[in-house]
Formats: sequence, C-alpha cells, structure tokens
Amino acid sequence: MTTEPTAVIHDIGYRHYDGVRLGRGRAALALGVQSLRGVFGLGRTIRAKIMPLLLVAIMLMPTVVSVGVMALANQFVMPYPNYAVFMQAVIAIFLAAQSPYLVAPDLRFRVLPLYLSRPLTVTDYVLAKLAALAVALFGLLAVPLTIEYVGELLVDLPGPPHTAEYLGALGGSVLYAVLLASLGIALASLTPRRGLGVAVVIAFYMFTAAVSGIFAGVLISSGRDDLSGWALLLNPFFLVDYAQSALFGTTPVNTESAPPGVASCLILLAVVALAVTGVLLRYRKAAS
Amino acid sequence: MNTVVADITYRAMLGRKRIWLLILLPVALVALAALLRLINGQDEQTAVTLMKSFAIGTMLPLLGLIAGTGVIAPEIEDGTIIHLLAKPISRPVIAVTKFVVAASLIAVLAAVSTYAAAYLLIGSESGVAAGFTLGAVLGGVAYAAVFLLLGVLTRHAVAVGVIYALVWEGVVGGYVPGARKFSIQQWAQSLADQISSSPFFSTEVTLGFAVPAMVVVTVVAVVWTGRRLRSLSIAGDD
Repeated sequence: MTTEPTAVIHDIGYRHYDGVRLGRGRAALALGVQSLRGVFGLGRTIRAKIMPLLLVAIMLMPTVVSVGVMALANQFVMPYPNYAVFMQAVIAIFLAAQSPYLVAPDLRFRVLPLYLSRPLTVTDYVLAKLAALAVALFGLLAVPLTIEYVGELLVDLPGPPHTAEYLGALGGSVLYAVLLASLGIALASLTPRRGLGVAVVIAFYMFTAAVSGIFAGVLISSGRDDLSGWALLLNPFFLVDYAQSALFGTTPVNTESAPPGVASCLILLAVVALAVTGVLLRYRKAAS
Repeated sequence: MNTVVADITYRAMLGRKRIWLLILLPVALVALAALLRLINGQDEQTAVTLMKSFAIGTMLPLLGLIAGTGVIAPEIEDGTIIHLLAKPISRPVIAVTKFVVAASLIAVLAAVSTYAAAYLLIGSESGVAAGFTLGAVLGGVAYAAVFLLLGVLTRHAVAVGVIYALVWEGVVGGYVPGARKFSIQQWAQSLADQISSSPFFSTEVTLGFAVPAMVVVTVVAVVWTGRRLRSLSIAGDD
C-alpha cells in the first residue's frame, strides 16, 4: 500500500516540469524538423499529403525513365546538372504550394508571440523555417539525382561513370535549395493568406521565366547575342544553372553567350541576401 | 445576378492586397512592351511573341487564378461564406454573381493592357492588337469560370489551378499536340488569329472547336459552381 499524502483535500494532478530545459538551439531544431515534416505533409491530414507526394512522384519519373533507358538501351540520356532546369515547372509548383504553408498559418492565426515567449528569437524562427524549406528542396532534387547515379553504377555503362557531373549537380542542388527557399519564404510571408501566397510565388516564377525568355529571344533575333545570357539570369533556375557551371564546372543548359561566372555567383548571393533581409525585417514587424 | 453581393465582392477584391497583384501584371505587360519598343523598334514578330507568351501565356492564367479564386475562396477559408449562404438568395445566383465580378475584372484588365501593349509595339498593323484583345477578353472569361469552380471544389484551388496552367497548358501542351486542344490559352489564340492577319502567328485549334469549347466550359463551370454551393462543406483542413 502506498501512503497517501496527508492534508490533501483534492489533488488535481498538476505537475511541475523538473526535467532538463534544452534551450534555444533545441527549440529552433524542433521547429525546423516540425516544419520539414509538414512540407511533405507528414503529421498533417491526408489532403495535405496529396500535393507534396504527387509532386515528389512527378520529380522521380524522369529518373525512373532514364534508369530504364540505361538498363535496356545502354544509353546515358539525362545529364545530372540539367535536371533542375528540365524539371523547373514542377519545382516551382512545389515551392509555391508548400512555402505558404510554412509561414501563412502562423501569421494568420497570430501565434507568433506564443513561439517568441519561449527561448526562440525571431531570427531563430525565420532561420528554422528557411532551413526546413531549403532541406526539403534539396531532398526533392538530390534524391532523384542519387537514384539515377546509383542506377548508372549498377547498370555499369561502357566508359567511366559521370561522377564529377553528379557531384556538381549535388552542389548545384544546394544553391537551388538556398535561393528558392529564401525567395519562397520572402514572397509567401508577404500575406497571411495561403491561397494568395501560392499565387504570389507562382506569379513571381511565371513572370520572371516569361520575361527572361522573351528578352533572350528578342536579343538573339536582333543580333545582340552577347546580352541574351544576361536576360536569362532573370529566371532563378537559369541563374543557378550559370552559377553552378561557374563553381562546379558543369555545362550550362544555354551555352551560347553565358555571362561571366563571377557575375552570376554575385547576383545569386545578392538575391539571397536581399530575400533573407526582407524576411527578417518583415518578421521584426510582424512579431511586435 | 444580385447587385448587393456583386457590390460586396467588388469591394473585397479591390480593397485588399489582391488588387496590387491584379494591377501589377497588366502594368508589367505595358512596361515590357515599352521597353521592347525602345530596344528593338517596331517589330511585328516581337509583338506576336510578347502577346502569345506573356499576355495570353502568363498574364491571363495568373489574372484568372487570382481573380477567379479570389472572389470566393477567401470567404470559404474564413468561413464567412455561411453568412452569404444563409441569406434567401438562390445559390446559382450567387455563383453567377461571383462569376460576373471575376470575369469583368479580368476582362477589363486584360483587354486594356493587351491592347495598349500591342498598340505600343506595332500600332494597329495587321490586326494584332485587336485580335489579341478579343482573345484575352474571352479567354479571361473562360479562366474566371474554371478557377471559380476550382475555388469551391477544393481548398487547394490555387495550387490545382497552377498545375493546370503550368503543367497541362505549358509542359504537356508543349510536347503532346492533342493536349493543346483542351487548353484555354489555345482557344484564346484561335480567336486572336481570326482577326489578326500576321504571318508570324498561326494556331492549331480550329475556330469551329475553340468557340463551342469555350462556351461549353464557361457555362458548365458556372452551373457546376452553383450546384456545388448548394451542399458546400465548411469543415476546415490544416
């Protein structure tokens, strides 16, 4: 028999927390992991899982096809560094569909003060969200590339494997992930409405893609080929493609008249810095 | 058509941030036309490219997406649609009213900017400006109806609409010729081609298919929206 505590009329069972307090870093990590799971719909309703898993499946399709072609026809069809540019519409839709999920509900239901009442700071919150989206995008790109590379090694094509290209493409995936995540969060955090956030992000992608295509086409047809590469830099995917080729020595999709590699790297850095600063400023205001 | 509902919807559309996105795209189209005129002078091929890939190919679906889902989706998301549905107004009338508001906004914005941009680039030469304006107006009306329907069918209306506009019309339509027959953009281009006599512009879908298809899609989408509103479930997800 356990001894009942004396002089207690009614114990409603409230307990103090006596465990270790893990602090700021672990809070940020928990938020990041939770957000990363949420991007792929894990821990959310079935309806929230459909869209990300569908897009992941679409991303894997070219890989499956190219491994099949390698196995059956002994031909190497899809160069690794061009994979992201080839699939840019799908990646843009993934970014547009999922980045508002990360920021919009917290803004809409005004729960930011609840997060900030913990050891977490505004900067931690923003960085955790950015990191979650960047890791998700990196996975979206790296998993198909890795499957294709493993397939290539297993099929054992004549000639050496394209290891340098594969590693370059992985490095490029990091660049894609960082640039797209900062752009996606910056645009999506402008509005607390999820639907409008999706529209803003996709409008940004469609606008820059169309404008860069039109200007590149017009400049080429009017004989100013040297400028056409600069026009292509407006499209975030071609921007990273050029930066990737400058940093990792891969072949860009548009080889003619590429702008100097240093320029594309600097523009990439400037865009990321601008976007991240924008988000931080936005949240300083939203949190107060 | 209910004027009070229309009035409230207009105010909701024009009074919020949404309006900036709605206005920014047409302004960008005119600005692009001016810039291209400066770089390249009067050039019919440039004008047709800009109209085809930007006015019809980018601006129109985005306007349709923002206005078409914007007239009804936020109300469903917030749950305030209950107050509207609880009024003694027939649901099909609500659907038609929302459709008229979205369609009129898209039609006006698309028509003015498309005509201005094409006129800036080549004047009224070979009917490019008039043709694309007609295509943009009617295409915009069809987009409004389709995206309005998506707005009441699913919570992820914008994402589904983006997949239709980008993957089906853009990527699949680029490789599979058959898919182009079922694309609002292509129907809008057929209408534009009917008026313009530009040699740089040709379309694949015949007018005999495009016009009936456009009418059928618009009417079916609006009627279906009305029917769907009769038994709308408001339970929220995530």
